[in-house]
Amino acid sequence: MNENALVLKGIRKAFAGHVAVKDFSLEVPRQCIFGLLGPNGAGKTTTLRMIMDILGPDAGTIEILGQPANHAARDRIGYMPEERGLYPRMVLEEQLVFMAAIKGVPKRQALERLSPWLERLSLAEWRKRKTNELSKGMQQKAQFIATVLHQPDVLIVDEPMSGLDPVGMDVMREALIDMRRAGTTIVLSSHQMETVERLCDRVALIHRGEKILDGSVSEVKARHGKNTVALAFEGDGSFIETLPGVAKVTDFGQYLEVRLQDGTDPQPLLQEAVKRLKLRRFEIVEPSLHDIFVETVTGHGKEMA
Amino acid sequence: MSAKLWAVVKREYIERVRTKAFVIGTILGPIVMAALMIVPMLAARSKSKPLRIAVVDWTGELRGAVAQALLEVEDDGRKRFDVQPAATDSPEAAEAAYRKAVLDKSLDGYLSLPKDAVATAKASYYGRNVSNFTNLRTLERTVSGVLVTRRLTSAGLDPARVNDLTRSLDMKTIRLSEQGEREDEGAAMILAMVLLMILYVGILMWGQAVMTSVIEEKTSRVVEVMASGVPSTTLLLGKLLGVGSAGLTQFLVWALSLLAVSLASGSLGATDMPEVTPLVLASFVVFYLLGFFFYASLYASIGAAVNTVQEAQSFVFPVMLPIILAMVCWPAVMQSPDGPLAFTVSMIPGMSPVIMFLRIVVLTPPMWQMLLSIALLVLGILGVVWMAARVYRVGILMYGKRPTFPEIMRWVRRA
Repeated sequence: MNENALVLKGIRKAFAGHVAVKDFSLEVPRQCIFGLLGPNGAGKTTTLRMIMDILGPDAGTIEILGQPANHAARDRIGYMPEERGLYPRMVLEEQLVFMAAIKGVPKRQALERLSPWLERLSLAEWRKRKTNELSKGMQQKAQFIATVLHQPDVLIVDEPMSGLDPVGMDVMREALIDMRRAGTTIVLSSHQMETVERLCDRVALIHRGEKILDGSVSEVKARHGKNTVALAFEGDGSFIETLPGVAKVTDFGQYLEVRLQDGTDPQPLLQEAVKRLKLRRFEIVEPSLHDIFVETVTGHGKEMA
Repeated sequence: MSAKLWAVVKREYIERVRTKAFVIGTILGPIVMAALMIVPMLAARSKSKPLRIAVVDWTGELRGAVAQALLEVEDDGRKRFDVQPAATDSPEAAEAAYRKAVLDKSLDGYLSLPKDAVATAKASYYGRNVSNFTNLRTLERTVSGVLVTRRLTSAGLDPARVNDLTRSLDMKTIRLSEQGEREDEGAAMILAMVLLMILYVGILMWGQAVMTSVIEEKTSRVVEVMASGVPSTTLLLGKLLGVGSAGLTQFLVWALSLLAVSLASGSLGATDMPEVTPLVLASFVVFYLLGFFFYASLYASIGAAVNTVQEAQSFVFPVMLPIILAMVCWPAVMQSPDGPLAFTVSMIPGMSPVIMFLRIVVLTPPMWQMLLSIALLVLGILGVVWMAARVYRVGILMYGKRPTFPEIMRWVRRA
């Protein structure tokens, strides 16, 4: 069995006037949670749409579960697009049975699988209601059920947490982890870096249609070096920005993340901080995915400008 | 049929058939049709009260004969005219009195015969209501008969004999067809008109339903989920089949109730129901479905290209143009159903659904013409569906600015 769930080779897509994705290659190993990151308009959605054959690539090949992409292989994928949508006037149960039917699941089987999911996402009492009577969060959960009812081998979800309350987010996160445990490969596209950082095994970063970063989360972090300092304190920390060797400060008020220039010794910073602040914590940490994202994207932007 | 296609067809069909508009339209249709047929029949039976008229006779000799002739006019055993007794005073005084009576509604009208009425064949009718043509024509004919008789007599001829010799022609129209002959009193034409209108309205109405359905999928953003699970051609085809069968269901309900009404009215003694031949029925279904496929595919691509129903309006008219032109042609086709115009128009794909059907109802054309028309229409449909599928595939994911026509053409080439 091929160990990659998805393989994209040299994918390219141009629209009138601009190139959305250029020579993009990607390997998504089986049974992992893969984070697809990138700023707005980077080409994430276009890439996902090409995997689903909603758009045809201008060049390149796509393999799904070890075979060239075709309709049968795509039926093994569950796709939840960023633009959510359900038929507003359909009863929830019929809607979900229909969504399973277009993926080839017979009605009886769909109904059997439906109940546990409705229970789990607390939608059981809405089963016979029309979709447009559901709140936005409930529709989001219903959409998720519609995506997984045919028990896909690969799950592609675009911003799975948006629109959910904290309870809903927890339920969704558990559902994703359970599915991964059961053998599903999950591709997750999101802007919520904390979610990605906690959930994903591997990430890839797309910027302006090109892949500029790819690897396991720990690899990516290691590549960015251990030159980030986290400080928690009481007092006015604004002077830190002016210290020599400080590349960038991310200010959270009572908490700062300081990125030092390569090769800078953090000791002088510690001494200065002890002198001027009531320090509660001083730690050399891995950079957050958030910082890596911002830095890579803005750095890349400057190079290209 | 693939499971996906079947699922889409079923969903579209059920969603259409469940709407209030469909249920109301399906039930109301036959009621309206029945009303259109029964109300005139009832109205024809319950004739209004006889017309109360008076005669002002300036000749001083015609009144008796005219009044008698008018009183003799009967319709279903009932008098058509109620003639007031002769006035005793002068015509001037009588006319003034009648005029007043008409205005205060104790009289419907009065007839004035001038002095030289016999020679000039002139008379005048004064009334509040002068638009009751049937009554007035009867009145005119009756008075004219009296005057003619008078003239014949004074010329020394026997009116009865002249009448007998100048009897006018009573021509029946009998329609000959392979199925035999039957007398036709215009009912066939009315039937052709009714079926033609249903066909025309049906094609456009259900075509528009496909467009609305595509726009709704775009608005609710469900289209991307659908496109990720179902190839766009399957999705388009499923929509056409689902919505098309909903339309067909409605027609079938209508046809069955029409049949029931005609059987019922047949047993009531109305023998003039034109018979709907199996050929007419079959060609109605065939041309409805083909016409629907042709226009619904065009409508679907409009729906895919725009964001709202309002935006669609400017594209709808050019698409409807062929069928509108076809409807403009129908009187000419009716006049000469085998002429060159009828033949040409019944071969053009966008126009043939209505015109070929009309020709079949009026005068069964040669088989090869019917088959050629259908074949050309099917070719047209294949072209339109091919184009629509391309516009559809690109258009359903386009939001924002309404595309221009050249842009849509570019989608067709690029998709």
